[in-house]
Amino acid sequence: MYVRAVPPTDLNRNTEWFTYPGVWTTYILIVFFSWLVVLSVFNCSPGMAWTIVHLSHFLVTYHCFHWKKGTPFADDQGIYNRLTWWEQIDNGKQLTRNRKFLTVVPVVLYLIASHTTDYQHPMLFLNTVAVFVLVVAKFPHMHKVRLFGINADL
Amino acid sequence: MITIPYLTALTTYFSYGLLFAFGQFRDFFRKIFDWWRVNNLQGYAPICLGLEDFYTRRLYLRIQDCFGRPIASAPDAWFDVVERYSNDYNKTLKRTKNKSRCLNLGSYNYLGFAASDEYCTPRVIKSLKRFSPSTCSARVDGGTTTLHTELEESVANFVRKPSAIVLGMGYVTNSAILPVLIGKGGLIISDSLNHNSIVNGARGSGATVRVFQHNTPLHLEKVLREQIAEGQPRTHRPWKKIIVIVEGIYSMEGELCKLPEIVAICKKYKAYVYLDEAHSIGAVGKSGRGVCELLGVDTADVDIMMGTFTKSFGSCGGYIAGSKELIQYLKYSCPAHLYATSISPPAAQQIISAIKVILGEDGTSRGAEKLAQIRENSNFFRSELQKMGFEVLGDNDSPVMPIMLYNPAKIPAFSRGCLMQKVAVVTVAFPATPLLLARARICISAAHTKEDLVKALEVISEVGDLVGIKYFPAEPAKLEQQKMIKMD
Repeated sequence: MYVRAVPPTDLNRNTEWFTYPGVWTTYILIVFFSWLVVLSVFNCSPGMAWTIVHLSHFLVTYHCFHWKKGTPFADDQGIYNRLTWWEQIDNGKQLTRNRKFLTVVPVVLYLIASHTTDYQHPMLFLNTVAVFVLVVAKFPHMHKVRLFGINADL
Repeated sequence: MITIPYLTALTTYFSYGLLFAFGQFRDFFRKIFDWWRVNNLQGYAPICLGLEDFYTRRLYLRIQDCFGRPIASAPDAWFDVVERYSNDYNKTLKRTKNKSRCLNLGSYNYLGFAASDEYCTPRVIKSLKRFSPSTCSARVDGGTTTLHTELEESVANFVRKPSAIVLGMGYVTNSAILPVLIGKGGLIISDSLNHNSIVNGARGSGATVRVFQHNTPLHLEKVLREQIAEGQPRTHRPWKKIIVIVEGIYSMEGELCKLPEIVAICKKYKAYVYLDEAHSIGAVGKSGRGVCELLGVDTADVDIMMGTFTKSFGSCGGYIAGSKELIQYLKYSCPAHLYATSISPPAAQQIISAIKVILGEDGTSRGAEKLAQIRENSNFFRSELQKMGFEVLGDNDSPVMPIMLYNPAKIPAFSRGCLMQKVAVVTVAFPATPLLLARARICISAAHTKEDLVKALEVISEVGDLVGIKYFPAEPAKLEQQKMIKMD
């Protein structure tokens, strides 16, 4: 019923909330509930609903984790202005538990989406592109890499 | 240690996610509207880069009426709060001429010196007439009066250190002294919940900064061993100096620092200890001498003791106390001493008189009474709140008690609910606290009487029921059980 919240040693207020208990569960629950909402609103098959959830999850997480840079408050005087949220999390350390979890979630969603649509074209193509982009963006080698100058600083 | 009910953690994340999503939507539409509207600022750079002000615009401004309330009298136990209203959903607030008399649970008025005092105020007025409100000069030019030297001696005597230096502002004391004490090639190890002034000073000094888990001496030892073994980054040479910075009472947690263990570890690894006693000086300890006296630590073991006069002494400014050589060095090199205006003479006189009252040198026992009163008040209030089922942080004897709220919607609900019933509380949210752990912070004062505290408890209990923050089961009162037996 009760969980302990130990204050982490992360000074970056933008990412330290991810180390508290309950985040992973909330993330999974939000994805599941959005699938239910899509099913009820669009009246489509469960497979299409999973594809829609997967693609919108791709858009939202790409925008929030890999596109937006900096922090939403001015307290830290802009020391993280060149880093996206993914590069800030866990102080830049690679292959931590949080990062592994966030890499696994899009892959699992992809598997569910492609299984429930019976691997049909064109959904399979879109889903594959989405999961490919997301997983490559989360590789340790891509830390602070800006391909072709996309999203590079001024 | 903070225990959150698991469901509350989930709902708090969900609420913040919703607020964040709404904020992003509104920003998106705002961008579209602005693209249509003619922009007469061609060629100028934007004031805020990227999403720097996102939190302020989309989350803070929505509940702006809970923060920054103007007051119209001295911050005593009861004070006047100016009422405000807004016509555009809290984006701008307008003051009215009405004032409401509220119980003050937010000021750091630990010993009750905030309002007019029978010993201090006549002396302050006399020094105001003699010395004028400002010295109009830095300490080294013409700003050192007899009051300043008397104040530094009195502070050094009170804190039980050989000598002290007094600066005009508390925040500046940390952020201007740390760059002077340590520079590039040094290591600062600071507690993870240290105040912003320490973080600023540490960043400004150029030294490498490492953080250890809040109040965990074992983790401090681990970090010290790791850092001493590795040495400076890239060159791996030994560190020039290591300073460990802790606070006496942490203002957001109400917890006391585990000073004896930390001092023992620092002695073992030969690191300096910097103790920031902003909230604990004058408020804890048998004679008010702070956390060293309360925990039985010899002041000779703590190398640099820092404190402020804003909290228990009812004045302004900060001090650093240490060995004679350290203070002499600071007087030669600290920019806040060399270039900033010295502390105002009436403020200095208030501190001298307050110290005299606390030590009993004014001939009465008011100081000892005040210290006993604040200890009784804090212990009574904290135990009653815990009996009612609230989650209250902080150790016994600490006058700061945060009540956990968690959900972002409960912050304005609790604040406005209490204000409607004439109790003024301070609520704190992200980014001063971690995202999940929003709280309402109550500061008990020696000026609060028992009736004030009982009224505050009633109001907080009622509002707490309405808002739903009694996360722990309440202890049933014995009287109620007896009444039920009688009715049968």
